[in-house]
Amino acid sequence: MVDAFLFVGLPYIAIVTAVIGCVWRARTNRFSMSSRSSQFLEDRKLLWGSAPWHIGIIVVLLGHILAGVLPQVWSSILTVPGALIAIETVGVACALLAIVGLSALIYRRVTSARVQAVTTTTDLVVVALLLVQIVLGLLSAVHFRYGSAWSTGTVVPYFWGLVTFRPDMTYVADFPMLFKLHLVGAWFIILLLPFTRLMHLLAVPLQYLWRAPQLVIWNTTRRRQHAVAATIQADSRRAFLKGAAGVAGATGLMALGVSEKALNFFKGPHPDPEADSALLQKKLQRLQLTAEERSYELERQRNDMILVARYAELAENKGRYFIDYAMAPGLAFKGKDGLPLVISAKCTHLGCTVGSELDAQGRVMCPCHISYFDVQTGKPNDGAPAKLPLPQVGWALVDSTGKVVLSRKPGESMQGKVDAALLPQCSLYITKPGRGIA
Amino acid sequence: MRALYSPRCWKTTLLLAFLTTVGSVQAYPEFQQHIVKTTGRAVNCALCHANADGPEGTGPGQIGHLTAAEQAELGRARAAFEPGARPNSPILNAFGNHLINSLGKKKFLELRLAPAQLAEALPKDSDLDDDGISDARELPSGTHPFIKSDGDPWLLFQANFKRNFTQIALALAATVSGLWGLGHLLRGFAVATRLKDDEAEDPAH
Amino acid sequence: MKLPETIERTEAYLAERFPVEKMNYASMILKKEVPVHRLSWGYYMGGLALFFFLVQIATGVMLLFYYQPTVSDAHASVEYITEHVPAGALVRNIHAWASSLMIASVMVHLLSAFAMKAFGKPREITWITGVALLGITFAFGFTGYLLPWHQIAVNATKIGLQTIEEIGAYLPGQMATWPKAMKEIIQGEASVGQATLSRFFALHVIILPLSIAGILGIHLLSVQLHGMSQGVDEKPRRMEKFFPTYFLKDLSVWGVAFMVLFILGLCLPFDSLFAYPLFEPFNAKGSTPDGIKPEWYFFWVYYPLELLPFWVIMLGQTVLGVVMMATPWIFKNTNRRTLKVLAVAAGAYLVVMTVFGEKIYHLFKG
Repeated sequence: MVDAFLFVGLPYIAIVTAVIGCVWRARTNRFSMSSRSSQFLEDRKLLWGSAPWHIGIIVVLLGHILAGVLPQVWSSILTVPGALIAIETVGVACALLAIVGLSALIYRRVTSARVQAVTTTTDLVVVALLLVQIVLGLLSAVHFRYGSAWSTGTVVPYFWGLVTFRPDMTYVADFPMLFKLHLVGAWFIILLLPFTRLMHLLAVPLQYLWRAPQLVIWNTTRRRQHAVAATIQADSRRAFLKGAAGVAGATGLMALGVSEKALNFFKGPHPDPEADSALLQKKLQRLQLTAEERSYELERQRNDMILVARYAELAENKGRYFIDYAMAPGLAFKGKDGLPLVISAKCTHLGCTVGSELDAQGRVMCPCHISYFDVQTGKPNDGAPAKLPLPQVGWALVDSTGKVVLSRKPGESMQGKVDAALLPQCSLYITKPGRGIA
Repeated sequence: MRALYSPRCWKTTLLLAFLTTVGSVQAYPEFQQHIVKTTGRAVNCALCHANADGPEGTGPGQIGHLTAAEQAELGRARAAFEPGARPNSPILNAFGNHLINSLGKKKFLELRLAPAQLAEALPKDSDLDDDGISDARELPSGTHPFIKSDGDPWLLFQANFKRNFTQIALALAATVSGLWGLGHLLRGFAVATRLKDDEAEDPAH
Repeated sequence: MKLPETIERTEAYLAERFPVEKMNYASMILKKEVPVHRLSWGYYMGGLALFFFLVQIATGVMLLFYYQPTVSDAHASVEYITEHVPAGALVRNIHAWASSLMIASVMVHLLSAFAMKAFGKPREITWITGVALLGITFAFGFTGYLLPWHQIAVNATKIGLQTIEEIGAYLPGQMATWPKAMKEIIQGEASVGQATLSRFFALHVIILPLSIAGILGIHLLSVQLHGMSQGVDEKPRRMEKFFPTYFLKDLSVWGVAFMVLFILGLCLPFDSLFAYPLFEPFNAKGSTPDGIKPEWYFFWVYYPLELLPFWVIMLGQTVLGVVMMATPWIFKNTNRRTLKVLAVAAGAYLVVMTVFGEKIYHLFKG
């Protein structure tokens, strides 16, 4: 019952009162909205109290508002590594700053006679309430760690329930007393908004942040020049301050995102053992393939004949790739007459590797610039980008005893003879240009 | 440089006759042919197979290159007629195995007659490469379901943009605030030098 | 002409191009002014290219930490970067996108500088170094293309190098063998292999960066010495201070470019613009894969090369090269309106060939 009043009744009373009260006060007594200044009565302690208090409380309040109004944006910010710690640290630091400032302000208010003269009872109530509230908040933050993360699932839905007229107390019913007090304190402060100096919250002098300084001076030449110089100086100082703030902000954000990425980039991946061994295996496979390719090179330097395929592996309509003595690709077919047909596969146009499949006219195609080569003669089709025929490659057929039974050098006639029945036992070799056949 | 494509993986070569110690081998090129025809993209056997030239041959990931243990895996994968058999065929890549696992070989073979329906039969929520486009959506557009950087550029952009929104927002905030800060620094610098120059020119003050 | 006279004239010529009395902070930074007119956007293009170049250096150095320039490991190491290294895909993708964007902005820079007659006396040296920078930028693109050692990289490089050899057929006498010799020097062995990769790597990460840094120094120095060219025929109505007004605007353009690059790098893999088989490791024993073509910034010469006889393109390239190097003297007395028309025509040609090149090719070749 008490809970129901404190977490549903009180909030509505507070909100309604605050809204009506503030509107009424703004319309009837406009100039009372800002809080009454006591700066000309005492300004040294004021600076050391007011500045930390306001800086601290503004940061903390903005955090509360952002998390409450845009919970999704807030949680997505928290997903950035390190952001949660950073936000909590900033929050606690600012709360401490605010407490120090507020304490200084209270001390000033109760010790300075001149300030006492303008202090009302409500001022004292407000100041005490604020101190209690912020201490409660700080304690909750310390005791129930990472409120910036868990609040989006608890307090925020409760808040939105109130706003959308579907109050749901279950979110807050189980909270520890400490935090409940913090919540109730918040509603009390809102309730008091229109009756106290707190209403200056709604009259934030934002334009002071970018307004140029205004000086009231006697209008003489000397003073004017002085004033101009002073204004320029102040101007440049403001520019430097803003600049430093902007660059610092950017650096901070970059540090959050980019430097974390860059650091991890240089740190490198640390895969689990399984992924690590898979990677190593892949690497070894590639190394083996490369070693194989390099060994072809050696083979071609050392040997006068290189095995291309067994005769049985040759086909009429699909060529078999091999690597010739110039380390360029070649193609081996079985001709119509059953004898091997061995031809270079390096396009005579720009050196692409031609395809291995014969079309209906007995031609292979180079996919780069579409030239068709007749595999019998090596000649390209008319109008093809390639002008020269694919060169023939010298070959030899070796029977099962290792004897060359049939061979052919480019541009020469066939040497030797072979029985068609023995062909399937033969193997096809290419022969080194410029060497006789053993 | 040519839309035409000559599928290499399905031609039964004579080589095969020489190699077939494990019974007759068949790859299923209907799907690849269909994708090439409808998308015009160069798609090769590496879409589903371990080797880009298909399962037949002696290269890595081909039938002529298997160890005894891999042969056993292959046999088990061949018998995966019903879905959920978790095949680990050495001649298929992760996507090929995923296909057989989620459809079952029986259904897969039936689909050869209507290759367009393969994508619809795939589980809708599976995204093997985690690029934000589901496998069922990648298949008909001819992009590889197992390569993260391959996908319809526009869809990839959308998915990655959504995924990295916070990073982008932070980078934007950093850029804007950095420019704003640098701008004021430069302006302050310019004002300060002007002031100094004025004083130097006018020593009376 | 006597020797002392020649020296004197050279001295006078250089003194006009590199006035020592202007080589100070006040004159190069504080007093510099930038004209404001309708073509003012052209002044940002050079800065933009510089930005992308700086990005390339940063990301390139990062990639160097993992890349291995050997035939067996190159592709695997690139794969390792994109798949395993944290943020590696982002770094590599930004490197790819920034290279394209750098070349695009260099092209626009060239055309806008031409249209604004930014080569008039005393800016000849600025123009000549600019043309050299353009050449180096293309060389960067060509050499960088090979390094991942995938199908498209090796095959496209093979074709590109073979093209050099083709020139030999059109040269007389002894000169006919020169292009082939040149190709072999670049290639380092009979076919594109380990030697080629090592050479391209050295070019891409040491030689080209050093030479671009040197030439860029001269280019930037003369830009700051002579200030921005007037840009339009009539006197510009307004000038703005280079520092800080224009410099700030330039920085803002850099900021926008950074965001564009970051979003592209994060969200759109450069590889997705090609089909995946092209990115498989190079296979020496396979046929050249379909869909092979150079990077988009070579389309303007690639598609005409496909359609027209080789000698026409060679002649055209030679003429283009000579005209570009001699532009400050050829177009000495041309007014800016004519130059603008020429630049727009050239720009239209580049856009049409880059965007519709493939369609045009199929239109003629079926």
